[in-house]
Amino acid sequence: MKKEYELTAAQNMHYQWIREYKTQQVSGVSIVASIKSPLDFGLLKKCIELETERYGCLRLQFTKPDKKGNIKQYIVDKYKADIPVKDFTGMSLKEADDIMQSMAYETLDGDDRPMCEIMMVRLAEGYNGFFIHMDHRLIDSCGIVVMVNDIMQLYTHYRFGAEYPQDLADFEKVLENDLKKANSEKRFAKDKKFWDDQLDALGEPLYSDIQGTKVLEAARKKHKNPKLRAADIERKELFVAVKDYVLEPDPTKWLMHFCMNHQLSMTNLLLLGIRTYLQKVNDGQEDITIENFISRRSTHDEWTSGGSRTIMFPCRTVISEDTDFLSAAYEIQNIQNKIYMHSNYDPALIVEEMRKRYKTPADTSYESCYLTYQPMPVRMDNPFLKDIPMHSKWFANGAATKKMYLTVSHTENGGMNFSYHYQTKCLTEKDMELLYYYMMRILFKGIAEPDMTIGEIIKAV
Amino acid sequence: MDRTLEFKELIAQYCDVAAEDLTEDMRFREDLDFSSLGFMSFLGDIEDTFDVELDQEQALKVITVGDALDMFNDLVEA
Repeated sequence: MKKEYELTAAQNMHYQWIREYKTQQVSGVSIVASIKSPLDFGLLKKCIELETERYGCLRLQFTKPDKKGNIKQYIVDKYKADIPVKDFTGMSLKEADDIMQSMAYETLDGDDRPMCEIMMVRLAEGYNGFFIHMDHRLIDSCGIVVMVNDIMQLYTHYRFGAEYPQDLADFEKVLENDLKKANSEKRFAKDKKFWDDQLDALGEPLYSDIQGTKVLEAARKKHKNPKLRAADIERKELFVAVKDYVLEPDPTKWLMHFCMNHQLSMTNLLLLGIRTYLQKVNDGQEDITIENFISRRSTHDEWTSGGSRTIMFPCRTVISEDTDFLSAAYEIQNIQNKIYMHSNYDPALIVEEMRKRYKTPADTSYESCYLTYQPMPVRMDNPFLKDIPMHSKWFANGAATKKMYLTVSHTENGGMNFSYHYQTKCLTEKDMELLYYYMMRILFKGIAEPDMTIGEIIKAV
Repeated sequence: MDRTLEFKELIAQYCDVAAEDLTEDMRFREDLDFSSLGFMSFLGDIEDTFDVELDQEQALKVITVGDALDMFNDLVEA
């Protein structure tokens, strides 16, 4: 008999979005990974099948919802879906990407079914590889990078005699450990206390928007409450557009050196850049909350077990305009460190607590910006594939649960990519342009003169 | 198991150095490549594994394996 498990907090976050937005599309994640080299597709298929045995999360399925809408998960013994070869050689890479992008919009509907679809692809210009479309409850982006590397290590082992890749951690064992931690009363009480203490100390958060104070004002009018501190979330028109900006390698180095010299993490510097922009366009508002995604992978087992370990927590800081840039960065770092220690907690409980305390209307939020910083590039880190050009791409699932979701990652040449996913119902490309422009102006002004106050930087940029 | 070794086994789960090779002068961030998230998760793990309560402010001052061991020994001997 199959062993069923409840969902972890990270998985539940995606499941609740599926329920709230009434489509599995919001939980889709897709990627193509290819190299400019002929591939033995028979062998590649064998390696992918082997990967489904090694990486237990790929065999994860979900039960039908019970009367309360709750589901459970279980791991099947064998991945049974076909792994076909799709030929895109008659078109450009861009045209093939467009087709794969449309496949990324497809939903994986139904229960007790594989939540992962894989196909091998022949692409233009001699690129060959595979496309994977799956549900985020199975895997997060770090997990995908590990999987892509593992598949190619298996391939180079069988093809070129490279060393067989090391065993991956047992997904089921790590899952059991996570659930055990989540159910520890002592741990739960400590985590709950941390989050409740924050609300006790700071009171109700205050919404801040990329477009300025008009959004909160509109919500106050709509709900006929001039004191409302939360604004409405778009629930119906979820279409998302993506705007990417690339920061060149040299300025990227300046940011990285600043972080290194001041013992700061890049995430915290980026959070400071976004929050200062929000402070600027929201009439100097000091109390700003940004949702920050963290990938809860620290131990060896957590790194190689796959699964969905990325979870978001509100990073709330109250920073006055007379705080200098460096102190503001440390203030963010201090709160983020504490959040990391309490990241076993289910963020849905934080939202629930705020609803209970402040009785906010349904479908409102305190945040307009979400950040993910991905230090890991999607790259096949394999000496046998060194110097072979690669083509890899993440495809947006096309449905945003968030107003603006920024993913910052590193590029192959040492630069950084700022990928802004934004709901087209509420935001335009111009909004993203302004956000990127000012984020950069703020960050580079701040790292050049870290003693400048936030207020001075806001005025200067 | 010896308490110190058990403590080092926990550290080794987070880095590429085996428990028996960990020395007290090794720094978590610079030498063992702990990220902020890794270090804070490790602190949470100390609490859960050994059923102790860390003083967060004091724990954040820990730099080396030796510092962590001193903090840990003070707690379990208190």
